[in-house]
Formats: sequence, structure tokens, C-alpha cells
Amino acid sequence: MLSIPLKYNVRNLFVRKVTTSLTVLGIALVVAVFLCVMALGEGLATVFTASGSEKNVLVLRQNSQSELQSGISRDQAPLVKALPGIEKDADGKPLVSAELVVVLNLDKRDGGSSNVTLRGVEEKGMALRPGMRITEGRAFVPGTSEVVVAESVARRFKGAEVGQEIRFGAYRWKVVGHFDAGGTAPDSEIWTDTEGMLNTFQRGGYSSILARTTDRAARDQLVAALAGDARLALDGKVERAYYDEQTATAAPIRFLGVFVGVVMAIGACFGAMNTMYAAVSARTREIATLRALGFSRLSILVSFVLESVALALLGGVAGCALAFLLVKLALSGVTGTTNFATFAEVVFAFRLTPALLLTGIVFSLVMGFFGGLFPAGRAAFTKITAALRQVG
Amino acid sequence: MKILPLILKNLLRKKTRSALTIASIVLPLFVICLLGTLLRALEADPSGGKGMYRLIVRHKVSITNWLPGAYDPKIRTLPGVTEAVRMQWFGGAYIDQSAKNQFARFSVTDVDRFLRVYDEVSVVEGSEADWVGDRSGLLVGRQLMKRYGWRLGQKVSFKGDIYPITLELTVRAVFAGPDESGVYFHHAAIEEALPRVKGYVGWYWLKTASVADTERIPRQIDAMFENSSAPTRTETEKEFQSMWVSMLGNVKLLVGSITTIIGVVILLIAANTMAMAARERVTEIAVLRVLGFTKEKVLGLVLGESFALSMIGGGLGLGLFVLLLPGFREGLVNSPMGAFAAGIRLFPEVLALGFGVTFAVGLLAGLVPAVRSAQRPITEGLRQVA
Repeated sequence: MLSIPLKYNVRNLFVRKVTTSLTVLGIALVVAVFLCVMALGEGLATVFTASGSEKNVLVLRQNSQSELQSGISRDQAPLVKALPGIEKDADGKPLVSAELVVVLNLDKRDGGSSNVTLRGVEEKGMALRPGMRITEGRAFVPGTSEVVVAESVARRFKGAEVGQEIRFGAYRWKVVGHFDAGGTAPDSEIWTDTEGMLNTFQRGGYSSILARTTDRAARDQLVAALAGDARLALDGKVERAYYDEQTATAAPIRFLGVFVGVVMAIGACFGAMNTMYAAVSARTREIATLRALGFSRLSILVSFVLESVALALLGGVAGCALAFLLVKLALSGVTGTTNFATFAEVVFAFRLTPALLLTGIVFSLVMGFFGGLFPAGRAAFTKITAALRQVG
Repeated sequence: MKILPLILKNLLRKKTRSALTIASIVLPLFVICLLGTLLRALEADPSGGKGMYRLIVRHKVSITNWLPGAYDPKIRTLPGVTEAVRMQWFGGAYIDQSAKNQFARFSVTDVDRFLRVYDEVSVVEGSEADWVGDRSGLLVGRQLMKRYGWRLGQKVSFKGDIYPITLELTVRAVFAGPDESGVYFHHAAIEEALPRVKGYVGWYWLKTASVADTERIPRQIDAMFENSSAPTRTETEKEFQSMWVSMLGNVKLLVGSITTIIGVVILLIAANTMAMAARERVTEIAVLRVLGFTKEKVLGLVLGESFALSMIGGGLGLGLFVLLLPGFREGLVNSPMGAFAAGIRLFPEVLALGFGVTFAVGLLAGLVPAVRSAQRPITEGLRQVA
């Protein structure tokens, strides 16, 4: 079978500059919108998938879905800390931290207010989260109402700069430092020490206990030991799995992305179809000539589908570039939404991954294929004699 | 010659193209209306104005911190407060934690006064007295009754997550109102199983005598408890709801920009069609001009065609939206976003938005081709070979 050279189609696209660029722009915008919304969902999901270690076990009260709902009494804590399998730090102390979380309603810089998690941690709290470091100021001194604030929280909320004070009626916390947790869950939090917090809020117990285990076997043993102790009525969860359960927070955004993307793609597909129909009808005689020269129906069909796919590909590439620029320049800052499992804000950044960009390209190719199929069919089944006789 | 029949004839010349253009306007316009409705519903007041007279007093730190129940006499006796109840969020799970079994579960301390504050609802099955009289009684929204097929007297159990207990409750009354997706029961039921929570409440819900009171009373209440161990934040119901929206983050901006871009995409598609149509008819338009058509008529002819396309597409899109909205709302009512669905209505401003977009698309898409067709010298047009 003789195939029509691709050059023929590419040149045809450039002949009809206005139509081609309007269609390309339409497809580009659809791809860009789709990618931006998906990048938002991806950024949000990454916070959870990047958080939590396979070696850490998070201890919560039975049936609790999140730390906020959980409660562990003061006398239970030593029993949990004494369980076998918990790793010792270089100084010989167990890597374990009994923590308390409270949600604070703080004013945002751009108006409105949102909930932020205030977390009380013990001495080993930071060692339990690798990748965390103080970027400005210093760590808090236990028992002094000092706090360290995540950089991304400080950027979004009022009164969280180093040296400032976070106030709440009778409560006051001095901000002594900022920290960065590399895009993981603590990046949405404010940290202080557990003992001080228990006093401030007059709480009789902790929210959770986080413990590092020596290895996988020790971890499973610890989880089993907790499940087997009916007296404690506590559950041990692998920290990694705990955060995986919260990725559901990103589901509505992803749904919005796919829904808007698909509906718009159908619209853009019709647009591409229009362009291709016009391209076919303008070239009726040309197509008939090709047929008369011996090109088969199939090669004409393939040729026109390829033309449409090339058109959409241009749009797809332009859309990816547009989304890339948007995310790099306009949307590079962090944003936040509420995780309704923890009732507090999650701070995250847009994340346009190579996989997403590839999805965008594939998405445009699909649009091009379906947009070109019917017009190409019309071209392939052009009656040679009638078409050659046609004037104009 | 009348211009309208000519426009219609032109539209029917390339049926596939007109149909495709119309189709590519219908779906995006539908999405624009849907997103617009979601935005409006986020700001809507599901209580239908009754919430204007209501205030919510919560712990200043956040809604997850509890308040002492002992504030009750001080709050209730304030001049301007006509009624107040203490409430708490129970949360927990019915059957399981999955999304399809999510609905709001609240406990009420002062059950006898509850329906005087929550006064946009009415009991349609069972009676208020039955619910008030039974410490394990459950007041259920009508929509929820239907969703689970519950009957009066049915036993329902909720497994706690915040509270380590399981509640066994009996359906005693059903209410109808704007939001029928929640259940309410006696706080005593939690206190009996878990005495340590006695004396604590989640928030106070109060009704005031006038709108002026809703401005004065919050400051009064907050000043009263400012230096206590549990300071308060008092807000109107509207402000309280907008906190939830604000917690979602920049939803408004996100949805707003998506809507704008969809509008631009429709415009591009329609403009493309009109550019193609005008280009094909260069010679024909020159002939019309020779026959005595003025520049203005040619302008009207091309613009008219563009308007006709966008109006048909827009009309169908709006029609589809109006037809499908009740179904969409119905679907949402039975989802975890049930309370939000209560705010969804056919907003006139959303229809106006849809119409505005349609109008703008018709005008802008046709403008350049129309002006160019009208301005092209006759001789040049006649000389052109298509």
C-alpha cells in the first residue's frame, strides 16, 4: 500500500493558519486547565504519600480515624513506651514521642480564617520525622510556651513570624523559629512541647504516641502487641498507612479535574472535528486526485486521522507548556485546604509531574483521534468521479 | 429581501458544521452553569433567612475545643437572646466509615428548646414530645429516613470515633426542612455511657430577637468570657458557614478561573466556525453586494449567523442544565455533601451568567469575520477563487 507522506498533512495545517491556530489554542487551553487542576490534586496527595515512615507506628485509641479523635490517658503512655520492638536513639533513650494535637483557628493573611494543627511533641518528636530541620531561629525550649512554626504556615497566617506572638484570649505562644519538613504533613503544623500543652489546655491525656521500631518484624510485633492488649484498648497503625488513608482528601479535586477535563475535551473534540471537516471539504478534488493516482481509501483515512492527531498534538504540547509556565510562575506558592479527617489545614504546592504532562499529551492525542475519525472517513469515501467534476 | 431567512438558510448549508459548533457550546455551557451554581451554593443560606437571627458561640481556639456547659444561664439571660441550646458533634459511623454512609450526627443538651431555635423545620412524623421524652430518642431528617428506609420506632446504632462508645437510639420523630440530612439526639445518651464528658458542650446555638441584636450580642458574649479558661468566639450563622468555605481554601478562585477559561474555549470554537464560514463565502458576499446589499446588511448577516449559532447552543445548554439540576441535587443530597446540597437551587444569576456568556460568544465570535466581510471591496471579493 502506498502511504501519503506526512509532510502533505503538516503543510496543510500551515496553509490554514487562522483555523489551525484557533483549534490549537482551544485544545491547548483544555489541556492546560486539566493539567492545572490535576497538579493541584497531585500536590495535595503528595503531602500524604510523602509523609510517614514504614518504620514508625502511630498509636491511637481503638476506632479512632485520626489523631484528633483519639485519646490516650497519661497512665497508658508508659505502658506503650515500654513495649518491645521500639528502637533506641544514640543516647540510649527510646525513639518515642507522646503527642497532643489541638486545632487552632487562626486568621489568614489574605482574609478569612482556617484551622491549623498545634502539635505538642516530646524530646524525640523531631528525630522521628526525618527530613525536618529548623530554617530560622531555634527550636522551642520545653515548658516555656514557645513554638516553632512551619515555614509554609508562617507564609499563610498572620502573627507567625519569628519573634511574634500567637495569642488566643488567655493563651499566648512565642514564635522562636521556623521549620521545613520537605513537603510532608508537619509542614502544615505548629509545634511546641507536649507537657506545656497539656497544662495550657488542661488536658488529662495525649492524642497519640509515635514510636520508631527497629525493623519490620519488630514493627509487626508492636502492632500485634497493641491489638492483643484489651486492657489498653489502643490500636497501632503503621504511620505510612495512616497517611495513605488521608489521601482521600484529594479525591474531590481530582474528580473536578477529570470531570471538567472530559467535558471540555468533548467540546474541543467537536471543534477539531469542525476544522477537519472544513479541511476535507476544501480539498475534495485534491483527495479525488490522490485516489485516482492510486492511493487506497485506507491510506487516505490514515492520512487525515494523522493530520487531526498532529493538530491536537500541537495543542497538547502548547497546553503542557502553558500549564508548566502557569505552575512555575503564577502558581508556585503554597496553598491550603482543609483535611476533614484532621479538621485542620493542609498546606501544599501545585505539582506538575512528568507523568501528568504525559497524561496531558495522551489526552490531546485522544481528542485528535476522535476529532479526525469522521472527517477522515468522509475523505476516504469521496466518490472520485463526482469529486473531480466538482467546481471550486 | 428579509435577512432572517437568509441567516437560517446559511446555517443549514453546512449541517454537520453547525451541529458540531452547537454541540461544542452546549456541554461547556452546561459546566459553566453547574460550577456557577456550586459557587453560589457555597455562599447560600440554607436556612432561608432564618439564620439571620441566629448566633453560634464556640471555643475561641477552634470548634474542636469544648466549652463548659455552665455558660448556659449567662448566655440565655442576656437581653435580646430569645432562646439558646447547647449542642455537640458526635461524628462516629453508621454501618461503616465509607463516604456513602456519612451524614451529620449531633447531640443536643436542651432537647425541649431545640426546635424553637431550629425553627425552619417542622416535625412531619412522630412528635416532638416523643423525641423529647425518650432519652435515647432520635430526630431524623426526612431525606435520611428515605435513604435508609428507616421507620418510626426503629433502632439505629452509631459507633463513636471521638467517643469510645456505641449508641443505641430509637427513631422518634422525623423533620422536614431545607436540610434534611442530619440526625439529632439527647446529649444525655452520651453522658450516660461516658460520664467524663458531662458538663461540656461543643457550641451554643442561639436565637436573637432582632438583626440589630446579632451585631451587639457577639461582642457582649465574647467580652464576658474573654479572660476565662475557655474564651469564646461568637458569630452569626452566616459567618460560621463562611468559615467552612474559607477552610476549603481558594475554591472560589479555582472554580472562578476554570469557568472563565471554559468561556474562552467556547469562544475560540465558535470564532473558528465563523471564520471558516465567512472565508468560504467571500465570492458569494461580493455577489450579494453587487445585488444591492449594503455593508450594514452584510455585517448583520454574518453577525446574525454567529448569534443564531451561539443562541441555539446556549439555549440547549441552559435547557439541559435546568432539566438536569434537580437530578443532580437529588444525587448530592444522598452523598456526604448532603448539607451542602440544601443550598443548591436554580439561581437566577447563574442563568443570567449563562445567557451573558452565550451573548458574548455570539458577538465576539462573529465580530472579526463580519467586519472583514463587510469591509472587503466588491472587486477583490469577486476576483477570489475559493
